Amino acid sequence: MGKRILVVDDAAFMRMMIKNIVTKSGYEVVGEAENGKQAVEKYAELKPDIVTMDITMPDMDGIEAVKAIKAIDPQASIVMVSAMGQQAMVMDAIQAGARDFIVKPFQQERLLQAIERVLARSRR
Amino acid sequence: MSYRNLSPVELDALREIGNIGLGNAVTSLAQLINRRVNMRVPRSSFLPFEEMIELVGGYEELVGCVSLRVLGDVPGIVLYIFDGESTLRLVDMLLGLPVGTTGELDEMARSAIKEIGNVLTGSFVSAISMMTGLNMITTVPLFAFDMLGAVLTSLMVAAGRVEEQVLVIETELFQEDETLIKGHFFMLTEPGAIERLMAALGL
Repeated sequence: MGKRILVVDDAAFMRMMIKNIVTKSGYEVVGEAENGKQAVEKYAELKPDIVTMDITMPDMDGIEAVKAIKAIDPQASIVMVSAMGQQAMVMDAIQAGARDFIVKPFQQERLLQAIERVLARSRR
Repeated sequence: MSYRNLSPVELDALREIGNIGLGNAVTSLAQLINRRVNMRVPRSSFLPFEEMIELVGGYEELVGCVSLRVLGDVPGIVLYIFDGESTLRLVDMLLGLPVGTTGELDEMARSAIKEIGNVLTGSFVSAISMMTGLNMITTVPLFAFDMLGAVLTSLMVAAGRVEEQVLVIETELFQEDETLIKGHFFMLTEPGAIERLMAALGL
């Protein structure tokens, strides 16, 4: 607990929803980004412990952002949170370096479990 | 009640609900045709009903339209409208034919489109229902391939009273970087439905 999260989604409402869920569980949302480009900038600036990343966003999508973040920090922990749950996209995301993939709409527990598991495995 | 009365947060929430619905719909479509389907960032807006017609291309535009009535907590109609060309390409996609093969709609093609439309609109509504916990039951979808004016008129005759403004999502679905399928999702709701939706989201 007390781990630092960067929330990335182009919808303010979804960022708010994720923020509420994770904050109630003791995480600290240190930043938000509304597109891939901002996500990369904020990652470099804030060095969060974990990132939640949407896919469909303007100005650089989530998968490109994962690649860019992994290039800065190969140890980066990123969990995808997207309404596009196609097999091919999940594979793309994992290959780009994401550690888990959650499809919207999601149950709170699913999101929290994914974050906990990814953090536990990341040895930070 | 008009969409003009919704706060920025509520409008944003409504857009996101639409996006989630659409994303799920596209995922289901991809599974149906067993191919990857990409989607550009959808553009959502709220338009008066009359502008819906302009947006799609006018009364005489030939379109494929799949519509479902939604019953329960958020009563209304969900429509997916694609232009004539995109309708034919959708059939190619579903039947695994080279793009451009289908020239007109026979029984098989109509059946294919209806199924695609069913999956798209059904997933759209399911996602919203799951997200909000609201009861949203859909009716058997109708498919029409006709001039937009004719399609909308018959729908409106069958529908109940709806809000004067409509949630519109413009979509572009494509495979392998070629833009193939242009469509619009419309969600028309009866008075009171949007308030229930917002309340379910805790807004």
